[in-house]
Amino acid sequence: MITWVLYDIKNDKARTKAAKLCKQAGLYRVQYSVFLGTVDSHEKDTLSLQLEEQIDESQDKVYIFTMSKNELKNASLLGQAFDKKMVTDEIRALFF
Amino acid sequence: MTITPSHIIQYLYCPRFTFFEYVLAIPQYEEKNYKVIRGRDLHNEKLEQNKQYLRKKIGVKEKHLDQYLTNGLLRGKVDEVLLLEDGTMSPLDYKFAEYKDKIYDTYKTQLYCYAWLIEENFGKKVKKGFIVYTRSKHKLIEVEVTESDLDKIKKCALEIQLIIDNNFFPKATKYKKRCLDCTYKNICIK
Repeated sequence: MITWVLYDIKNDKARTKAAKLCKQAGLYRVQYSVFLGTVDSHEKDTLSLQLEEQIDESQDKVYIFTMSKNELKNASLLGQAFDKKMVTDEIRALFF
Repeated sequence: MTITPSHIIQYLYCPRFTFFEYVLAIPQYEEKNYKVIRGRDLHNEKLEQNKQYLRKKIGVKEKHLDQYLTNGLLRGKVDEVLLLEDGTMSPLDYKFAEYKDKIYDTYKTQLYCYAWLIEENFGKKVKKGFIVYTRSKHKLIEVEVTESDLDKIKKCALEIQLIIDNNFFPKATKYKKRCLDCTYKNICIK
């Protein structure tokens, strides 16, 4: 499933770690604290547990949303936005 | 060599796992899974809140924590051994998991193994076991343990022993789907 991860984490170290965990889960960094990509339910569960361990629950926030391919197709992207095909792994190679 | 509940679970999945791993000593590829690691830490977090609750809810007279039990064939560590009010005993196992309206066979198998060990070590009957799902607010689930369940486990243990001691090459599982992503599929004769 296509999964969005958005966070606000105050502590620098924890924030860096959170970004690293999202990348390790195979998500693309579409904004500084927004990640997007395709993971299965087990991977999503693992990631949410790992992020939960990083954050300070009294001040930080993490959102994990899932979305269908169609919903992503209907999203409007303006400016320097990411490539929809890229984040859904439809493009396998960037150059030939 | 004594076997553990994990061996039995693997054997039930496919008897050839036992052969490849313990006769030919070809290890399975097991990645370091984050959830498994968290589950191991779980036992160190002693769960105080459960004590009173258990006594009320299922009528526990005594409990023994972290019991490492063994008989001639099998060994295993039970999180809690409970003495109930009717004089029977029950194993209780903590799981770092969410309860999703069904109990996996692997969890049941593990409880049956513990039941067998408890009957032999404590000399008390075991009629049921308990699982606590720590990721579903410590939901407590009861699992019935019958004689035939225990007989199946005992039979498995003997069959595993036979494979290991006599280098016996067993038949593969009858469920073909399991072969698709099996770690041994390149070396296993169909």
